[in-house]
Amino acid sequence: MNMKTRITLVCAGCLAAAGPVAAHHSVAGQFDVRNQLTLNGVITDVDWINPHTYLYVDVENDDGTVSTWQIESAPTAMMRKAGLTSAMLMGDGSPVTIVAIPARDGTENLAWLLRIDYEAGHFYQFGAVD
Amino acid sequence: MSKITVTIARAAAVLAGAACLAISATAIAQGTADLPRTADGRPDLNGTWDNGAGIDFLRPQAIGASICLRGCEEQAPPASAAPASPPPPPDRPIYRPEYVAMVKDLEERQVETDPVLRCFAPGVPRIGPPDKIVQQPHEVVFLYDDVSGSFFRIVPTDGRGHGANPEPSYLGDAVGHWDGDTLVVETINFNGETWLTDDGSFHTPDLRVVERIRREGDTLHWQATAYDPAVLVEPWELRPRTAFLTGVELVEGAPCIERDIDHIVDGSHHDNPR
Repeated sequence: MNMKTRITLVCAGCLAAAGPVAAHHSVAGQFDVRNQLTLNGVITDVDWINPHTYLYVDVENDDGTVSTWQIESAPTAMMRKAGLTSAMLMGDGSPVTIVAIPARDGTENLAWLLRIDYEAGHFYQFGAVD
Repeated sequence: MSKITVTIARAAAVLAGAACLAISATAIAQGTADLPRTADGRPDLNGTWDNGAGIDFLRPQAIGASICLRGCEEQAPPASAAPASPPPPPDRPIYRPEYVAMVKDLEERQVETDPVLRCFAPGVPRIGPPDKIVQQPHEVVFLYDDVSGSFFRIVPTDGRGHGANPEPSYLGDAVGHWDGDTLVVETINFNGETWLTDDGSFHTPDLRVVERIRREGDTLHWQATAYDPAVLVEPWELRPRTAFLTGVELVEGAPCIERDIDHIVDGSHHDNPR
């Protein structure tokens, strides 16, 4: 399995308009909505908290080290109303592919969630993916 | 991070002129013949009401085992999915000239000044329609699952006046009465520490809010008007909102733990339409 990080920074503007799920604060104030990145890894934990949920994703770097990414997402009420639970987000421990928006302030391994694709074939999407 | 393949593509032009959803403020004609009613003859507002977590234009879609909150319009089955609409245009109160600069300053410094960003209660009307209503002959209870936490409001409807809570508060002191089939809720005695909207729209402790709530079938119509003549040019009539009866029961709200403020790099204002 390939857990290597692949970061693809693409297409600004698309997100500014099509937009990620609106947040408790401005997404654009914290995350670089002009760019998207793709991570391959394993979800190790979910913080089911407000005003934003967090996923923790272990991603193996090319040098063999593992980085734990914090992937921020929608409030719990929005998740619940969409039919999502923390267990569903967590998945079964199989590898996932995540598309996210990187932090603007230079914080490493922090991003805003757009989409998760699970090995079983289903996905959860929270914003337009380029 | 080493050996990461980074591909940078040119940023595309920002999509401009996104069509804005025009929402008529015209009330939907009342049809009361099949309106569910309680034993005392009032419209039955009991139930859990989904108002989209404050984001009216979101329409989560189930696509097989997948779930899409936004951005999947082209992937969704066109016949079965409600179309997602662009965010509506801003709906903001109009301030007296001497307060316009203050609102602008608060908005520009939202990261420092917005109490909701620090998990405080959002106030009224910013909190929006209730997520659950428990109705009794003498009072109606509003329950909320907000990003800032779980909140409640008790609204007497038996003629009691204001004053149940003498302390100014975030959600104020509410009383209600029935105007035909519409529940009218008047709230006063706010603490002045909340905003009317997400964008710096402060108010004074003398704010008075009137909410009108009406059921039509399995739809709840909510509209609020904010009166604060010391700072507003005119009463602010919020854009009407709707909520839909849902089987997704309200549960204990998750804790509100703020982790973002240290990472926000500019004063980009909130992009929610509430």
